[in-house]
Amino acid sequence: MEKTKTFLKKSRLNQFLETLRIFGELHGPTVSESGVYCFSPLHEPAQLQLDYRRTQIPPKKYLLPFREEILHYASGTYREGHSGAGDLVLFGVHSCDLEGIAYLDRVFLADPADPGYSTRRSHLTLVGTSCEPDDFCFCPEGRESSSCDLFLAASQDGFHLSSHSARGAALLSGAAHLLTKGPPPPRRPSGTCLTPQDPQLRFSENPLWHKFASTCVSCGACSVCCPTCYCFDVREYASLSGGALRIREWDNCLFASHGEVAGANFRPDRLERLRYRFLHKYCGFTPLQGVNSCVGCGRCKEVCPVDIDLRELTAPEPEER
Amino acid sequence: MKQAQHTHVPIAARLIERTDLSEDTTLFRIAPEERALAELSSFVPGQFVQLSVPGAGEIPISPADLPAPDGTLELCVRRVGHVTELLHKQRPGAKLGIRGPFGSGFPLREMAGRPVLLLAGGLGIAPLRSLLMHLLRQRNRYGEITLMYGAKQPRLMLFREELTALAAEGGMRLYLTVDFAPETAEGNHSCAIGLLPDLLKGFRFDAATTYAAVCGPPPLYRCLVADLERAGVAAERILLSLERRMRCGVGRCCHCGLGQKLCCVDGPVFRAGELKGIPEAL
Repeated sequence: MEKTKTFLKKSRLNQFLETLRIFGELHGPTVSESGVYCFSPLHEPAQLQLDYRRTQIPPKKYLLPFREEILHYASGTYREGHSGAGDLVLFGVHSCDLEGIAYLDRVFLADPADPGYSTRRSHLTLVGTSCEPDDFCFCPEGRESSSCDLFLAASQDGFHLSSHSARGAALLSGAAHLLTKGPPPPRRPSGTCLTPQDPQLRFSENPLWHKFASTCVSCGACSVCCPTCYCFDVREYASLSGGALRIREWDNCLFASHGEVAGANFRPDRLERLRYRFLHKYCGFTPLQGVNSCVGCGRCKEVCPVDIDLRELTAPEPEER
Repeated sequence: MKQAQHTHVPIAARLIERTDLSEDTTLFRIAPEERALAELSSFVPGQFVQLSVPGAGEIPISPADLPAPDGTLELCVRRVGHVTELLHKQRPGAKLGIRGPFGSGFPLREMAGRPVLLLAGGLGIAPLRSLLMHLLRQRNRYGEITLMYGAKQPRLMLFREELTALAAEGGMRLYLTVDFAPETAEGNHSCAIGLLPDLLKGFRFDAATTYAAVCGPPPLYRCLVADLERAGVAAERILLSLERRMRCGVGRCCHCGLGQKLCCVDGPVFRAGELKGIPEAL
């Protein structure tokens, strides 16, 4: 698709946000009362925190709710239980999170598509924005993802807009009256941040594995806040009326229960669970074997209470003196 | 959308018959609704179905036989957890749900013309029974068929009379063993006493062509794979039916990961050769 590029002056951002509301409920980065950055509804433009570094919970929450009713049982029959989705515009998503959603798309839209995910995804409009990396980020500087409908690359007095889908083009034409001709945006690299790793690295004699395992507390925070972690558990609850409700909710491979079967646990130790997470994240699973799902957002490093940084394992050996 | 409906929403099934096999294990015969029959008729021994017990949840079960001509299915289930506990309370007529079949089955075409050695430990007899029944029904398509089955003690041995009768018909060789037998009338059964690998030790067979199908508790695999390889069975011809907590059955929930594979879509039947270097597999 031919990219349409045009310029939005900073002073017109609020008006632009208002036009986005035509396409759905507007959500974007805000800061909570306790000072935590999160994607939430933008009732007024002043709530928008465009200079945020990263939200605590990634936008996967819009596509894979933490807990979701997937089936209802009544009168002897199971029926789809996921609630319908309304149109939603998610504004101000960084490239790493856009790549995270692109990865989830590959998992949940593959045949047979997940009904809940695909419904919500089809109602979601993604507007990306450029960002300023901090010490926790590890993606190539200035990366611009095209896995969105519209991307806003910030410059001194405004934003260079580029559309990447038919919906993005519709957003542009809907806001045409606010846009002016501007200088062409600087070219930015696009792509994944870390190359896929060698699966055998998890068995390496690297003493870091033991150091990590000795400090890890299996809290699972790295997985909860990861934009591409999607493990889920399924539970069912009976109701007094004779019906039942089946839900799915986020699960975590750092938890000891993850590798359990009746009478055994295939990953009882922290070392094994850390290695398993590394293998999934950096080397991929069937059918995405060889695909690195780490998008470099830096959340795992920021939230880890014991400062584990799995990237140390993949860092090049320091040169011998 | 038909496909998505099938893979996510269980199709209603009715419990029509139950036969207690031991104090905690029962054979359930279920009749799925007509619209599930076409899918289930493609079942290959070794594949699994997701059985729903309304109000409790869903569990992966490998059927104990191919679907009967009337479309009913036999599921051998031990009472070990929340879902199976409620299933065991169900009486004929109860409503259940079913999805599937999922995963890979045994490579039947490849096994044709070759001797097959089935090694079952405990409840591992359930998935292997569907393979055995298939082999016996197509008896002239396969080489020598041998079943070695080990249980903890005589009263926990499943399908004992049935297996003995099948062996008496001459279609297969049957070796039974128990870990120990109490000195009571109940223990007075004609079978060996000892572990399953001990049975294999004295067994003479054509290791160069035999296919071995193994299913049992986790420690059994490690032991038997080593013994079979030592006897000369290539790792590619050692077929293992693994057990994991498969929640979705379609490769999404990631509960059944082993290395970079998923038990639900790459398995549950694996070749021992595929699992080399994956510590969490066996």
